[in-house]
Amino acid sequence: MSNNRVSRRQFLGYTLTGVGGFMAAGMLMPMVRFAVDPVLQQKGTSDFVLTDQRVEDITEEPVRVDFTFEQQDAWYTSEVTNSAWVYKEGDRLIALSPVCKHLGCTVNWAGDPNHPNQFFCPCHAGRYEKNGQNVPGTPPLGPLDEYDVQEQDGFVAIGAAKENTLTV
Amino acid sequence: MHFIGKDIDQYLSQREYVDTAVVPLLELNLSETGLKSSAGASEYLQSLTALLEKQFKGRILLFPPVSYTAGADRTRMAEEISSEMEKGGFRHVFYMTTDAQWRSMESLKNVLWLPAIPTGDMDRNFKQSVMEDQLRQVLPLFLNEWS
Ligand code: FES
Repeated sequence: MSNNRVSRRQFLGYTLTGVGGFMAAGMLMPMVRFAVDPVLQQKGTSDFVLTDQRVEDITEEPVRVDFTFEQQDAWYTSEVTNSAWVYKEGDRLIALSPVCKHLGCTVNWAGDPNHPNQFFCPCHAGRYEKNGQNVPGTPPLGPLDEYDVQEQDGFVAIGAAKENTLTV
Repeated sequence: MHFIGKDIDQYLSQREYVDTAVVPLLELNLSETGLKSSAGASEYLQSLTALLEKQFKGRILLFPPVSYTAGADRTRMAEEISSEMEKGGFRHVFYMTTDAQWRSMESLKNVLWLPAIPTGDMDRNFKQSVMEDQLRQVLPLFLNEWS
């Protein structure tokens, strides 16, 4: 019977392992979560967001197309609405990001009456050609980003943003 | 830009471009009768200023709402806030609020008073279009001030 008694040393050993194990788990869990999370998040990243803009209504004149998606911030999920400037070049759909490459304001097509065929940034008068190329001498240092874009059942669908491929 | 660490780093290096402060002024009212409309006003003001920030990210620094209770001494607040904004060295400061009492505050320049629209029960698309409508009314005031 005395064999089964937990000695003082054993008892300390057990409890310390317990505490140590608990602490190790505490440290490991976040590490595991970091490692696993990106995998879990992969659903939906390469997805296109369907808009309610009909492709047949798109012309050579850029129009603003809004698209809404869920964005996960560190501690909450929120719905974000972004927009793109979409136009056709021949049959090809083109979607440009409206985010100014200077400091991030939203640019407008033909926003400056003196330059009706350019994008205009109201913040510091940055300008871009229709293909997104920044006009030298205005603050922006690079061209507007481009979005992957495709037609889905007659509607415009917007994909991931990428560097401008139209302005070489 | 938002008043957060990451944006402030950029702000500090681009100060000459970010010359405009936007300060939302928000009355908190927790009384039985005031709670709902106070929350609605808060939602409205924060949606609107967030849209504004998106539009003019590179030129404005949007501060978190300065909140106070009904009895707050607005004259004193006006002095304190505007002197703090002066320290920040902004060329333009806009105060945005749904609280009508600020309209008569002469010591504050550029108070944009907007009656709150309760958007809380609207569906997403409708809310979005209402808020963009509101934004369109505000944008020219900024462009005017800048030109
Ligand atoms: S943010 Fe567009 S020109 Fe400065």
